[in-house]
Order: sequence, then C-alpha cells, then structure tokens
Amino acid sequence: MALKLQTKLTLFNTISKLAIVLLFVFLLPMLIKNINHTYNDGRFRKQEAKLLQIVKDQGIGVYIQNGEGYGAYLPLKEEYILLDEADSNYNLDTIRNEKRKVEKDTIEYRILSHTFKVGNKNYLLEIGKSVSTLDETSGPLQSIALQILLGMIMLTILADFFFSNYILGPLDIIIKTKLIAHKFPNFGSYQEVKTSTADFKYLDKSIHQMIETIESTFQKEREFISNASHELMTPISILQSKIENMFNRDDVVDELKIRLIEMQKILNRLKSITKTLLLISQIENEQFIKDDTIQIKQLLQDVYDEISIRLEEKDIALNMNITDDVALQNVNKFLLYNLFFNLINNAIKYNKEAGEININSYIHDGTLVVEILDSGIGISAEQLPFIFNRFKKFRQSLQQESFGLGLPIVKSIADFHKIRINVTSQLNVGSTFTLVFPNYNSITQKSIIQ
Amino acid sequence: MNVLIVEDEMSLARELEIFLSNANYLCELCHNGKAASEKIAINLYDFILIDLGLPDCDGLDLLKDVKTHNPEASCLILTARAEVYDRIKGLDLGADDYLPKPFSMLELQSRMQAITRRKFGLKHTTLKLGEFVIDMNDRSITYNGNIISTITKKEYDLIAYLILHKNRTLTRPQLSEHIWGSVVNDDYDSNYIDVHIKNIRKKLSVHAQPDWLETVRGLGYKIKI
Repeated sequence: MALKLQTKLTLFNTISKLAIVLLFVFLLPMLIKNINHTYNDGRFRKQEAKLLQIVKDQGIGVYIQNGEGYGAYLPLKEEYILLDEADSNYNLDTIRNEKRKVEKDTIEYRILSHTFKVGNKNYLLEIGKSVSTLDETSGPLQSIALQILLGMIMLTILADFFFSNYILGPLDIIIKTKLIAHKFPNFGSYQEVKTSTADFKYLDKSIHQMIETIESTFQKEREFISNASHELMTPISILQSKIENMFNRDDVVDELKIRLIEMQKILNRLKSITKTLLLISQIENEQFIKDDTIQIKQLLQDVYDEISIRLEEKDIALNMNITDDVALQNVNKFLLYNLFFNLINNAIKYNKEAGEININSYIHDGTLVVEILDSGIGISAEQLPFIFNRFKKFRQSLQQESFGLGLPIVKSIADFHKIRINVTSQLNVGSTFTLVFPNYNSITQKSIIQ
Repeated sequence: MNVLIVEDEMSLARELEIFLSNANYLCELCHNGKAASEKIAINLYDFILIDLGLPDCDGLDLLKDVKTHNPEASCLILTARAEVYDRIKGLDLGADDYLPKPFSMLELQSRMQAITRRKFGLKHTTLKLGEFVIDMNDRSITYNGNIISTITKKEYDLIAYLILHKNRTLTRPQLSEHIWGSVVNDDYDSNYIDVHIKNIRKKLSVHAQPDWLETVRGLGYKIKI
C-alpha cells in the first residue's frame, strides 16, 4: 500500500512522539522516587547537621539523660527521629531503606543512620521517613503528566500536520497538475509552481524540461511523418501520370498494359500508405476543423451505401439499431466518416462468410455510445493491447491484404474528437468496438442541414 | 481550350502536357512563379493549373494575378501540401477546384469537364446508350422513360466516370481510385469494381443488354459510344 508523503510524515511523528511520551510516563515513578529520595536525603543531612550543632552547642544532655534514649514520632508514624547510645565500635553513616516494626505494623522507612562520639561515648542518630509518604505523589503525577503530554502531542501533531501541509503543498500541486496520468505530458503553457523549497523548484523545473523534451520529440516525429509523406507525394504523382500516359498509348501492346496495371496497383498501395500517414499526421497536427453537425444515423447510412458491396461479397448481414435524432456537434464529418468506414470495413474483412455485424447506439450517462459487434475471427488477448499500433499486422484477414493502418486512423480520429474506444474480443467468436462520444445533442430531424 | 500548367516538377508538368494534349487541350508549361506571372499577364487561358509548392513564390499569390489579368480563367490547385487551411484559402481566393497529389489524370480531366459544364451552364446533358438514357443532371438511368431505381449511387458514379472517359479503357485501379478515393482505408487490390460491374449488368439486362459496357480482357472496362 502506497501512502502519501505527508501521511507518512504525520504517522511517523505521531508514533515516535507517542512512544517517547509513553516511555517517559512509564519511567516517571522511578524518576519521582529518585528525585524524592535525593531531596529527602538532603533534608536528612540538613536535619542531622542541625541536630549535631545543637548537641555541640548545648551538649548531649539536651536529648539524652541517664542513658535514656530520645525518640520522637509524628502522630501517623510517617516520620521519626531517634537518638541513643551505641556500641563504642559501632560506626555508621548511611541512608537506606529498612523495615521497622512500629506497634504491630511493619513499615518501610528511609533511614539516615549516623554515629558520632561525644566525649568517649558513641551515639547513634536515626532520622526516618516512611517510604510510602515519599512515593505517594508519583501516581497522580503520572496521570497528570500523561494527560498534559498527550495534549501536547496532539498540539504538536496538529502543528506538524499544518506545517507539512504547507511545506508539501507545492509537491501536491506538481503531482496534481503535471503528473496525473491523463495530464502527462501536459503540453502547453508552463506554469511555475510557487514554492520556497529549493527541491520542489528543482523538481518542477525538471518535469517541465522533460515535458518540453517529449513535446519537441513528438513534434519532430509529427513533422517528419508530415514532411516525408508530402515529399513522397510528388514522385508518386509523377509515376502515376507516367503510367497513365503510357497506358493510353496505342503503340503499347496489351501484354505491356497488363504489366502497367500491376504497377498501377502497387502504386495505389504506396499511395494508400502515404495518404494514410499524411492523414494521421494532419489529424495529429490539428489540421482539421471541427465545425460540422452530423446525424449519426445518416452518417452510418452513407458508410453503408459505400460499403454494401463488400457485405454482399461475403454474404454478411448488417443490422443497425441506431437512436434516431441524435446529432453530433463540432465534429469533422470527413474524419468521422473515415472512422466508421474503417471500423465497419474491418468488421467485414475479419468476418466469416455469412457472418453478421450489429451496430447499436444508445445514450448512457449523458453520452452517446455506438457499438460495432462482429461475428468474426476475433483478436487474441495478447494482441489486443497493440491493435492500434501503426503497421502492426497480426490478424490474418481471410480475403485480402491490409497494411495495418486502418485502426491507427481510427485511433487518431477518435483522439482528435475525444471519443473513447473500448475493444473486447474473443477468438473465433467476434470483436466489439465501443465508441463513447463526449458531446452530442438530441435534435429533431428538421433542424439538421445536411 | 488553352491550359497553363504551372508546375516546378518538370517531368510531372510534361506528363500533364502529354495527357491534356491528347484530350485536345492546348498546353503551355512554366516551372516557376515568375514565368507564370508573365504568362498570365500576357495571354488568356481557359484553365490554369497551379502547383502550390513553387520554388520562388506562393502559388496562392498567383491566384491574385489570375483574378487581375485572367478573370475568366478557371483555376485548379494541384498540391502535395494538402493542408486544410491552404485548401480553404485557395478556394477563398477564387480557385475553382483543387486536387491533392498524387491524383489520377483522369480525375483531373473529369474535374476540368465539370468546371466547364458549370461555367457554361450545360443543363441538358442527356446521353443515349443503346436503349438507355443517362441524365447527367438527375444522375439517373432511364429505360423507356422509366427511371431504373435499382441502380445505386456508387453504380451510377462508375457509369458516369466511364462515360466521361468514353472509348477509353479504364483500369481497375483507376476506377477504384475514383470510387473509393475519398476514403482513407487500408485495403488494396480489391476486386469490388468487378462486383459493381456485374451488378450493373444484372440490373440493366432486366430491360435490355448493355452491350456498350465492355470488359477489356485483362485490362479493365470501357463504354463504347
């Protein structure tokens, strides 16, 4: 699954921040405990110093009289202080956690133990604080921290999102306006994408340069075909006129005339190819004007009149089921005539003896659809994608030769009129060519000027 | 009829001259715009055939000269550069017709004849062929005053073309080109002309034998008048 760059960045940001925050929240009790203990230990030391100062100033007697130790507890036993005589070789100076039994309860205390000598006596000072009071803040802190941090994450994600949206905006524009399939390569005016990001500027310029290269290559190819076919016309013309004049001479015997006819046929073939290439190049160079209004039924009838002899020849039945009063506007009649002629001609050429052809039209989703179905030899699935390529010849016509330019003509005429062509086919069953016309008008028979 | 052929390809100009001379036109040749301008200014022509791809000028400019010095002349544009705009511009500048190269000279002749007919308003162009009457205006064939309705447009075109070049054998490629010339498709060497002729004969023999429509073995067909 491919995601957009912005989505990926936002996702990564969210997940990484969330992971860090969760780790932090998870470690929070330990951190708090550490902080508390460190702070508490500092307090112990201060208290110890104070106490020792008091002992130093006022003597030990302030606390200990007659060997009676001093002890003081806060009412809930969360803190205590204890001063007592200790064994003379007992030497301690620690702060650690220890369990103490206080009136049936075992409570864990953090205890500072410190021995000191006054005179020749050894004393032990203990200051204790219950661990549970030390750590009791960590739970609420944890949940508060979590909430605050989650809120902050949301805020930063939003900020990230808007910023990345802003920063990646130009990329989006480049993709949408210049790279989407049906727009690429979009020849025409170059519009610079506004961006302050150097990389996008570079990308935009590169794409533009690439499109220019493609465009000029296309242009060169079109010019070449156009020029080549034009240049071929003159020599063909000369040859044709020479053959015709020779054929009309009385001193040329019939034997030679038959040869001349063979030459004429080959020349006609050359003419056809050249004419077709020229037509395709003229269509691609937009040399035709689309200002005719035609009735589809009438146009198909004209094609039928022209082509009926070929139907008779193979005993093919042609059934037309065409919507009345549908007119196509802003089209080129000559070109559409050629388009249908070639399609129907193919439907005949690749049909079987006594086969049939059905031509239907209907309105679908506000567009005019014309289908041409034949019961012919069909096109194999692996050849189907290439049928519109020039000079591709793979279907063995049953009857006559062709030079593989019929469908390329159809394709370029369709593209010129923005007609969509779909082809489906099944070997030995037949093919269906579907044409979808973008703009048509339903109008009455009378309003058409033929 | 005087014809000026303005064509820079010598050999094509020469072939045009041969063909049109055989068809009883009086031809003059020139191979560039300068020579053509001079000739147009001095002489009067019935037809001027102009190639648009002249080396020293735009053939369309010659049309203006023609309008000035030879307003009665009919102009035919011959061009390999059959760009649609040239076509429109040429016709707008007063050319009577135009033929894209390569063209059959039979086609050229039939265009020239059509122009002549239009020019002189020849209304009654009926012709008797055996027991049939062909009316060039109505594009119909009648027998005993009844129009033979079974004859199709294409079949009539074929007969008309053969009549136009009467007594001359037309080959299948020549006939095909005339009949299918407007359509660009990728067939060649089809035998549809034979089918058409067969159908014409069948439809006419119902009434009378069309002996005037001859098959010239191995070569083609002709109408003998």
